[in-house]
Amino acid sequence: MRDTRRTRLVLGVLLVTSLLLITVDHQGGENSPLRGLRGLGATVFGPLERVASGVVRPVGNTFDALRDAPGQRRRAEDLQRENQRLREQLRSNTIDKDRAAQLERLLGSAGLGGYKIVAANVISAGQGYEDTVTIDAGTLSGVKPEMTVMTGEGLVGRITRAGPATATVLLATDASSTVGARLEDSKEIGVIKGEGRRGLGVGATPLRLQLFSADAPLAVGQRVVTLGSKGDRPYVPGVPIGTVDRIEKTPGSLTRTALIRPYVMFTRLDVVGVVVAPPQRDPHDAVLPPQPAASPSGS
Amino acid sequence: MLNSVEEVRSGPFRSVLIIVVAILLQVAVANRLPLPGSVTPDLVMLTVVALALFKGETVGMVAGFFAGLATDLVPPADHTIGMYALVYCVVGYLSGLVSPEMDRSQSLPFVAVAIGALVGNLAYALVGVMLGDPRADWSIVSRTVPLAVLYNVLASPFVVWAVLRLSQRNERLEPRGGLSVPGFSARLGRQQR
Repeated sequence: MRDTRRTRLVLGVLLVTSLLLITVDHQGGENSPLRGLRGLGATVFGPLERVASGVVRPVGNTFDALRDAPGQRRRAEDLQRENQRLREQLRSNTIDKDRAAQLERLLGSAGLGGYKIVAANVISAGQGYEDTVTIDAGTLSGVKPEMTVMTGEGLVGRITRAGPATATVLLATDASSTVGARLEDSKEIGVIKGEGRRGLGVGATPLRLQLFSADAPLAVGQRVVTLGSKGDRPYVPGVPIGTVDRIEKTPGSLTRTALIRPYVMFTRLDVVGVVVAPPQRDPHDAVLPPQPAASPSGS
Repeated sequence: MLNSVEEVRSGPFRSVLIIVVAILLQVAVANRLPLPGSVTPDLVMLTVVALALFKGETVGMVAGFFAGLATDLVPPADHTIGMYALVYCVVGYLSGLVSPEMDRSQSLPFVAVAIGALVGNLAYALVGVMLGDPRADWSIVSRTVPLAVLYNVLASPFVVWAVLRLSQRNERLEPRGGLSVPGFSARLGRQQR
C-alpha cells in the first residue's frame, strides 16, 4: 500500500471528472456542449460496430444451429462437423431469405403509405435503461435526426442522432419516448408512451396509450396508427403501431389509458426503414394489416 | 500492490484491447439477445471488475473510468454522459481493494464479481434516479435491477475466465482451460510475493 496517496489522488481526479461530465451534460440537455463527443463516439465506434456485427452474425447463426439440433451432438464427431457445416449454410441461406422477406414487407408497407424510405440493418443496441439501437445508415444515405423509423410491420421509433455511416434510433418502447397516436376509424387521438425495460413485470406490454378524451370509445383489439407530427417530424402519419391489448380503468382520471401490443417485435429488430420523405397525403388507415388475418404482433 | 504499478506500465495496451472488445461484444451481441424481460448482462462492467480483481485498484479505477466513458459515447448510448464513467470507476476501485484477498479461496473471484455487479447496477440506478431520468423511474428500476443482477451473475464466470485468459497470455503459467482457477491462484501467489 505504498502509493495509497497517489491512488487516492487519481481516484479523486477521475471521480471529479465524471461528476463534472454528468453535470455539464445534464444541465446542457439537448444542446449540451458534450454532444460533440457523441459524434466522435459515432465516428470512432460506428465502423467498428459495423464490422463487429458482420463478424458476429455468422457466430450467432452457429449458436442457433446448435440450439436447433441438440440431438446432432451425440453423433460421431466428423459426421457432426459435416452436419454442422451444412446446417450453417442452410441456416444462413434461410436468414438471407428471411431478411429479403422482411425487406419486401417493408417496401410493401412503404408503397402503401407513400413513404420514401432508406433500408438499414440494426447493428447494435443500447444497455442500461435506454431502449435504443444503432442502424448502419447515416447522413451519407440521407438519414437525418428526427426521422421516423419503421419496419414492414409498423412503427419502430425515431432517429435521435446521425453519424456519417450510422444513426441512433430511439425505440418507441423507451421510457422517454412519446408518440402522437390515433385510433383507427375514429378521430380519437392520444399519446403512446414507452414503458421501458420490462424486467420482472408480468403480463406487461411495452407501450401504453393515453387518450385525451375521458369518454372516448375504446375496445380491445382496436388498432392504433401514428397521428403524424407537425411538419412530419419526427413522426409521419399513418404508420401502424399496435392493437389495444387491455383497457385500464382508473376512476376519476381525465384520460383513458390502454396497454398496447405493438406490431413490431422490438427485441428482434433486423431490417428497418428510415422514412426520408413523408407521404404526399395522410394515408390514414391504409397501411394497417388486414383485420381478420393473425397479426404478426410482437412480444 | 507494488506489482500493480508495474502492471500499469507493462500492459495497458492489452487492457485497452480487452475493454474495446468487451464494449463491442456488449453493444453488438449482448444487448441484442432476446432475453426474458429484455434486460441484458453488463459485460463491460464485469470486465472492469475482473481486471480490477486481477490487477489492483489503480488499474481498476482507471480502466473503469475510460471503459465507462467509452460506454457513454459509443452509439447508441443516449443517457447523460459520465454516468457509466462514474459508476465503473467506483466499482473498479472497490473491486481492486479486495484484490490482495483473492488467493484465499478459489471461488472468491466469482463471488467478488457477482457482488461488484450488484453494486454497479445499484449505483447506476441511483445516479439515474438522482438525475431525475424518466427512464430510471423507481417502478422501472425495481423491476429490472434484480433481473440484471441475476444475468450478470450468470455471465460473470465466463467473463472472469475470458479476461484471465486474455490478460496474461504471455505468462508461463497458462490456465489449462475450464474455469482456469489453477492458473489464477498461481498468478496471484506471485503477485503477493
